Amino acid sequence: MIWNNIKIALRNIRKNKLYAAINILGLALGLSIYIFGGLLVKYEQTHDAFFANSDRVYTISSELAADLDVGVDTLSTAHSAIGPIIESELPDVDAVARTISDEFLVSSGDKSFYQPLRFADPSFLEIFDLQFLHGDENSLSDPSGIIISEAAAIKYFGSTDVLGEVLTFDNEYDLQIAGVFADVPRNSHFNSLPIMEVSIDMVAPIKALVRIREFDEAGGYNNLSLGNMTYVMLPETLGIDWLQDQLDSIYERIVPEDGKESVQSIFPLPLLHANLAIWDTMGMPVVAVVQLLSFLVLVVACVNYTNLATAQALRRSREVGMRKTMGATQKQLLAQFLVESVLIAAIAMVVAIAALEVVVPLFNNVSSKILTLRYIETLPWLAATTLLVGVFAGLYPAWLITRASPIDALRDVARKGKSGSRVRSLMIGAQFAISAFMLALVSIVYMQNQKIEEGSYIFPRSEIYNLSRLNVDLIQGRLDTLRHELNAIPNVDSVAWSSQVPYEQSNSSTKVSARPADEAGAFNMNWMRMSPEFLETYDIELLAGRNLDRDLSSDLLISDEETEVVNVLVNELMLASLGIASPEEAINQRIYLQNDEDDESLLREMVIVGVVPTQNILGLFNSEKPWVFAYWPETFRMGSIRITGGNMLATIDEVEKVWDRVIPEYPIQGRFLDDVFNDVYLILKYMNMALAGFAFVALALALIGLFGLAAFMAAQRTKEIGVRKVLGASSAQIARLLVLQFSKPVAWALAVALPLAFVASNTYLNFFADRINSAIPILLVSGAVAVLLAWGTVAGHAIKIARSNPVLALRYE
Amino acid sequence: MLKLHNMYKVYRTDEVETVALNSVNLEIEQGDFVAIMGPSGCGKSTLLNIVGMLDNPTDGDYFFFDENVAQYSESQRSAIRKKNIGFIFQSFNLIDELNVSENIELALLYHDMPSAERKRKVDEVMDRMGIAHRAKHMPGQLSGGQQQRVAVARAVVGDQPLILADEPTGNLDSVHGQEVMETLRSLNAEGTTIVMVTHSAAHSDYARRTVSLFDGHVVTDNLRAA
Repeated sequence: MIWNNIKIALRNIRKNKLYAAINILGLALGLSIYIFGGLLVKYEQTHDAFFANSDRVYTISSELAADLDVGVDTLSTAHSAIGPIIESELPDVDAVARTISDEFLVSSGDKSFYQPLRFADPSFLEIFDLQFLHGDENSLSDPSGIIISEAAAIKYFGSTDVLGEVLTFDNEYDLQIAGVFADVPRNSHFNSLPIMEVSIDMVAPIKALVRIREFDEAGGYNNLSLGNMTYVMLPETLGIDWLQDQLDSIYERIVPEDGKESVQSIFPLPLLHANLAIWDTMGMPVVAVVQLLSFLVLVVACVNYTNLATAQALRRSREVGMRKTMGATQKQLLAQFLVESVLIAAIAMVVAIAALEVVVPLFNNVSSKILTLRYIETLPWLAATTLLVGVFAGLYPAWLITRASPIDALRDVARKGKSGSRVRSLMIGAQFAISAFMLALVSIVYMQNQKIEEGSYIFPRSEIYNLSRLNVDLIQGRLDTLRHELNAIPNVDSVAWSSQVPYEQSNSSTKVSARPADEAGAFNMNWMRMSPEFLETYDIELLAGRNLDRDLSSDLLISDEETEVVNVLVNELMLASLGIASPEEAINQRIYLQNDEDDESLLREMVIVGVVPTQNILGLFNSEKPWVFAYWPETFRMGSIRITGGNMLATIDEVEKVWDRVIPEYPIQGRFLDDVFNDVYLILKYMNMALAGFAFVALALALIGLFGLAAFMAAQRTKEIGVRKVLGASSAQIARLLVLQFSKPVAWALAVALPLAFVASNTYLNFFADRINSAIPILLVSGAVAVLLAWGTVAGHAIKIARSNPVLALRYE
Repeated sequence: MLKLHNMYKVYRTDEVETVALNSVNLEIEQGDFVAIMGPSGCGKSTLLNIVGMLDNPTDGDYFFFDENVAQYSESQRSAIRKKNIGFIFQSFNLIDELNVSENIELALLYHDMPSAERKRKVDEVMDRMGIAHRAKHMPGQLSGGQQQRVAVARAVVGDQPLILADEPTGNLDSVHGQEVMETLRSLNAEGTTIVMVTHSAAHSDYARRTVSLFDGHVVTDNLRAA
């Protein structure tokens, strides 16, 4: 019987090639998107599984204090002091290791590169079984040693057989290669996209960082960075609940108050979730959104198929009648039609897989991910999906056509009547609702991204050339000379140094208050350490007071261990937090830092000498924050060169020559502020592109379905149209009649989709401090676009039918 | 073989009630050849549908081989129908996606019969109907007369004791119509009971008995003189 059903299914496909093609391609498209989304999600969810101990390893994560306002609630990182505390307090754990990220100029012979690397406790290699080509898991025990990846070995030495070779850091510190390990596979949290710049290509002992940077091995509570991780490996007898209890106790008993100011609790996260946790620091659940959207596209494809299959099934009413007359039961006929829909789904799956064989490698090339279609592993999932899709999509049309009595089926009552028309309308509406929802969301995301990009032009980002990695003693000592020489270049308007530049997602903050030792009134403020030229370079106006002056000692913060009081500038938002009514009133007012008694910092007070406007320095989804601007040269790590007029490339060329002359020991690292912005904006752009892709596919499927249904319903009304034409209806009136019959389901689809899109878009917009004014006009416009597209799709058929000869229509009946 | 007693069939919509059969009493013996005649809308097809258990009466009794099937469910009717009744329709009702032998086999497909047995019976009946040479052809490739012969073959392949024919020659020219009637006559001669709805007086002469309906009533029930 099954073979018979398959035979009939294949013959039906051959007989109705156009509908079959629409059905198969529509399902194939939906399946491709769904499978691709599934591959992507699985890839992100299964990072690090190849490490032997991955099921026993946890990263220590932090729940951030509510008033920190950095756009996320948790970070998969902890203060650097936590690791050593865990090691001393919890002897039952198998291993604890921290990694601290930093960057140096690394040289070997005549090759020099700025190289990010990690410094790790020796037990790092107990936790992560890196595959050593040379050396072994003891290679981190030598404080003057370093282990490097295969790629790094080739980059610096052209070979992997480099044990004993020396790498020089910042032209000053040497580390000897103690091991070479195979490149860590891409599907590791070490290579997670949001932290791509923190490479795992080089790992040195933390004791080396002690020597080079005077890092306090006991760690501290003043820095949380995604590149700094704390790993704990438990024995098999202990689990995450036990570890959580221990961490709660450690937090309560041992973490000091200044550590608790920024972090309100610490918790363990399984290593296998580390990659997803890193993605979550983007501020939105990117991976979950991809999963949901790919599922929605499949639903649209299935509903599309159901609608078209229903229309086609009704044509086979007489066949069903005959079969029932011959004794077929409804169950047997259901089985026949379900075999047909599962067969179509199977063909669609084959097409989808063929498409993915092309798309996945292209995607991997572009994205540097390694998605793979492992057929043996995924075959059960693919087979189950095919079966579920075939049954889910085919069940309703099968039930509709087989439920008729033999006599009704033979009389073709279903096709001629309104059988199933309400459900069909519902399905068109559902498809359209999903598509309109996505279209509306894409529009909102796009407009919001535009707002973010436009908002970024408060700074003249295409005219500012940034130099980075200035936080090296030798370079710091020559910054004045560098500034003078750069200012002499034609078209260079100004040169400034700072601790960060706009758009860098660096939240360096500290607690201050308007009165001394006023803990209750304390609030977080962000630091911008800058040279006085910063205001001119970035076109930041003064609202009151004066700029900082490099010749005034009271304006200079030598170091926080030497300076007690310093003059500063503040932005307007600071005034609100300080309870100061106007910029003019702020001049000479004081701000008090909330230092602990055991804090080594001497800096206690800041005096306001100038006020600047509130501007969103961090940009993106960050809110505007209270900022303090201080002249603190030892913290400078970035340079900003304002260039106006002339040939930009020639000017950059001159800048590089000046650099090479003044600082020949280090290569220049420069790029436009545009590129800094684009780097952080990239994630938002990718999200919008992905969302647009999903929306396009969903809308295309809905319109294909509408096209097929328009043809079917026009055919159903052939006689009516013929009669109307004979009675004098014009082509325009007939066309309008046919178009309007789809307007009801489209209208209610919008009535459902737009409010839902409003809610979803508000959820998205809540991530941003600077938002578009109102989503409603955008939603209405996208709704109108969806309706016009629907009408356009149907109009083609409608006009063709309207123009046809009425006699042919009536003769057909 | 079958007995209809006080049979009513009423079609109801929200506003209209139509009495298609009104207190019909009819008995048909095994081996009978009955022609049912009457003007359009008199209830001929309705009567045939009820006799063929394609539809239920609104009221009354229907005894089929002494079993009252009047209020049976569709699945119960289907079980009796497939074993006992073959159908021939005016518009042939062949399935376009199946070839000739597959269309005939359809009548046996739901009988739990091994496929070898099915094939044997199909081959046999195709030979009998003279359509074996068209076994692999699709209905679209056949003339009207050939299609109706396939329909007849489908109706008899299961050796059902009763054949119901609803205007079997309605879509055929006189030559092919005559062929079909000759086939029905020879089937009846072999013992198959035939109940046929027809508008054609000439074709009704093939039957031994004519039942006339008017407005849902049996008006006359005459045996034709031998």
